[in-house]
Amino acid sequence: MAMGGSANRAVPYINVTPLIDVLLVLLIIFMVVTPARPSRFKADIPTQRDPNEDVSKLKPNPLTLVVSISTDLQLKLNSEAMGSVNDPSALAAKLQMTFQQRKEQHAYKYGMEGASNIPEDQRIEKTVFVKAPRALKYGEVVKVIDAIKGAGANPIGLQVDDLP
Amino acid sequence: MGMQGGTDHLQSEINVTPMVDIMLVLLIIFMVVTPFLQQGITVAFPRDLRNPDEDQAINKESSVIISVPRDGEYYMGKKKVNLEDLKSAVEKALSTKKEEDKIVYIKSGIDVSYGDVVKVINAVREKGVDRIGLVADKKKGKAAQPAAPAT
Repeated sequence: MAMGGSANRAVPYINVTPLIDVLLVLLIIFMVVTPARPSRFKADIPTQRDPNEDVSKLKPNPLTLVVSISTDLQLKLNSEAMGSVNDPSALAAKLQMTFQQRKEQHAYKYGMEGASNIPEDQRIEKTVFVKAPRALKYGEVVKVIDAIKGAGANPIGLQVDDLP
Repeated sequence: MGMQGGTDHLQSEINVTPMVDIMLVLLIIFMVVTPFLQQGITVAFPRDLRNPDEDQAINKESSVIISVPRDGEYYMGKKKVNLEDLKSAVEKALSTKKEEDKIVYIKSGIDVSYGDVVKVINAVREKGVDRIGLVADKKKGKAAQPAAPAT
């Protein structure tokens, strides 16, 4: 180490401790930030319609829930007004209540009535369709989907035909 | 590392140079890798939502991610495509996948009109996709309401 110095009291050492401190902190920051956990809403979309299919024979499901958003950001559940996009708490509460009622009345999904091997919660009809006009911003639609998901709806379907 | 003591060539300091080397290399690796971890292009997708489900598959190289940063602009992965090419690209990307893995992720900006998202949905459903994932960012911390168990 000595660079030809005559006395051996000169110790040419850099104090690296603060450097290591800083590096470790940076390292930890990067390690924490890196696994930004991605998440998503699962949504079902209708498959391509067969133009020859006779839709008149299909029976409407009385348990169908449709949340529609109007161009002025008002929400509707089926035909009942349910607050606005910016405050979907009324909608979420109503949906939660509906699902609770269905649980008590054992309103199962079509074809799931006898499937007792599947947990009760998953057999209850909790399908919610979302219908939004094309002119609306995507962000608003996602906000509503967030609220619906929070109320326990599963699956969520996006209505993509005949949109205003 | 003489344990004999007494003399003044006793060196009681740890040699930290290799450690610093390793730290620096790790740091650089993380700095370089971080931007590549994100699939697709950067989009102002919805943030701070309460209830989306985590899905590590979004970060996978093989998953199909369609990004819509602005009205009328569609990206498949990192490549800009038009709506027609999108259909064939989706078909090609999904052809090797199993039926239950056929999910298309849509990463759309919050200011994009819903009609544009619907256009993408219409394009992918022509190819037999009936499940999509709307990429959204989950708010840090716990969900305010307990979400129902996912099927």
